[in-house]
Amino acid sequence: MIVNRVTLLGNKDHGKSTLIGSLLINTGSVSEQRINDAKKTSKKLGRQFEPGYILDSFQEERENEMTIDTTRAQVKYKSTGFEFIDVPGHEELMKNMLSGASYADFALLIVSAKKDEGITEQTKRHLFVAKLMGINKIIVAVNKLDSVNYDEARFEEITDGIKQYLNKIGFKSESINFVPISAYNSENLVKKSKKIKWYGGSSLIDTLVALSNSRKESSHGKSMVLLQGVSEDDSRSVFGKVLSGSIRKNQRITIQPEGHTSLIKSIFVSGRRSAKATAGNVVTLELDRAVKEGIKGSVACADRDACRVGSSINVLFFDTKPLKGKLSIKMNSVEIPCRKAEVMRSISVATGETKEKGSIKPLQAAYIRLSLGKKIAFEDFEKVPELGRFVMYSDRKFAGIGVVHN
Amino acid sequence: MIKQDIKSLEERSIYVMREAKSNFKNVAALWSMGKDSTAMLAIARKAFHGKVPFPVIHIDNGIDFPETYEFRESLAKKWKLNLIVGNSVIKPEMSGYACCGANKTVALKKILKEYGFDALIVSIRRDEHGIRAKERVFSPRNKDFKWNYKDQAAELWDNYSSNDDSDGHIRVHPLLDWNEVDIWNYIRKEKVPMNPLYFSRNGYRYRSLGCTHCTTPVKSNAKDINQIIKELEVTDTEERAGRDQDKEREFVMEKLRALGYM
Repeated sequence: MIVNRVTLLGNKDHGKSTLIGSLLINTGSVSEQRINDAKKTSKKLGRQFEPGYILDSFQEERENEMTIDTTRAQVKYKSTGFEFIDVPGHEELMKNMLSGASYADFALLIVSAKKDEGITEQTKRHLFVAKLMGINKIIVAVNKLDSVNYDEARFEEITDGIKQYLNKIGFKSESINFVPISAYNSENLVKKSKKIKWYGGSSLIDTLVALSNSRKESSHGKSMVLLQGVSEDDSRSVFGKVLSGSIRKNQRITIQPEGHTSLIKSIFVSGRRSAKATAGNVVTLELDRAVKEGIKGSVACADRDACRVGSSINVLFFDTKPLKGKLSIKMNSVEIPCRKAEVMRSISVATGETKEKGSIKPLQAAYIRLSLGKKIAFEDFEKVPELGRFVMYSDRKFAGIGVVHN
Repeated sequence: MIKQDIKSLEERSIYVMREAKSNFKNVAALWSMGKDSTAMLAIARKAFHGKVPFPVIHIDNGIDFPETYEFRESLAKKWKLNLIVGNSVIKPEMSGYACCGANKTVALKKILKEYGFDALIVSIRRDEHGIRAKERVFSPRNKDFKWNYKDQAAELWDNYSSNDDSDGHIRVHPLLDWNEVDIWNYIRKEKVPMNPLYFSRNGYRYRSLGCTHCTTPVKSNAKDINQIIKELEVTDTEERAGRDQDKEREFVMEKLRALGYM
């Protein structure tokens, strides 16, 4: 079964963990034992049972009623598989939120309808980051509707606010589903709620099923293999993963950024000899000549112009820490020193407004030009995600994420 | 329990093990002779041209099951494994938490120091325990084996942690995405040799294997892999139910992992 990975998004305390916990319980996806364990903990802490405890397993998480680090839980419903990725909603835990969300196929944004909660700057920030990461399918769950008596006007208010923001940041909002729920009371999660009569759409999980069935893979046709290393027994054998297109035996390839050419003598797919390999396959390529160490992160291309090569890249960057001291980026686990980061346009994540120049500030975004310490093989994030996304380090500390943009 | 696509799980695990091999100087794997770490070795053989290119460590407390020792010897020979046995000493007054936390970890520390391993492949899975679901694929440990779970490194888009702490090491978790049933599907498909204790005898079988002191069998009539897979489709019991409860209780696993438990 193919499992659809769904990241939760949204402000702290708007109910991400509670929602996943409720979904797990309502679909029978979690054992009695695990539920009982969570119940016992609630009791011990002198609190009412909270479904989020099924996800929040660290002592500190349960005691402080917050998610510190990302976790995952699987649900099967009507022969569709989901893996929910829970993430922390706190600003200072952005690195953990980013780590979790980076694995997602689509996103489930939670906005609390409670008075004084609603759309916050963090709600917008999460949406912005989802867009940057290329997560184009989003469901917005308007939560805690019980606290406003399942008021339709409050639901519409939040719906309009989200749509306006999405338009500002260039997200097509027609494809986004808005679902009213109460996660704590299990309203409209699996069964359609009788308390929300004004809502004509499907329950949350049925909306997720519909979305997962409409998933389409986009494929960049050019043949390329991301190289991981050289076999320690034979320097003509390289390990890699086919990123797009396909490769076959006796094909000539160019390894970029080095520009060396070679002939593929044989191919092994997951250890078995094969005449060809296609996107997603992990391969061993036996070449006609020895390959030097240090090809990790290089790309073997059928067509030598399949990807771009250079040391200057334009990127859209989301910052989590002040950029200072020694900068470097990491792409496919290869660290590349970064000499200069020049802001072209800065973006206020809260408003979606951009302006010329400006500076890079934590929790804000910018279009920047990076001058790298050496040439790399790269491509636009939209064309080949694996060659167009990176993490930034500032004095060896995680400082943000970026994607190659034109 | 969801049955996932084992072909893509295998591809992912191969990718992760190759990352471990190319990112570190001196990699080793833990092998308990259980189903997960044995499946991991089968995947390693596919990743690296039919051989396991790193030493495998068994932390032996001398009280594993006889079947487990037999299985160790036969597979080590068949797959030409570079087996390192680290002896931990069992003290009669210890059990559960204290035993695993102290004994096994001490023995492992000694081996890591002696051989200078900078990365350790460990076959844990997210679906085993809420705490394990919080793990990263590459997870740093300091010299005391401490897991800094309150401040884990960012891990996104196949950008994994490097070993910045020269006294520490990285735990590599290639099977994190697998479910228990996926492991069995894989064992069936790839005909991976298996420890006989997993199969039912006299109405009982071991679902999760530890040492003789802390593991008890669960009621089961599953005599072969097909029957185990069928059983897993309907069971509501946790996989580790047969493990000493002292070790599985809330927050104890967390403390054990923070101390370096596998």
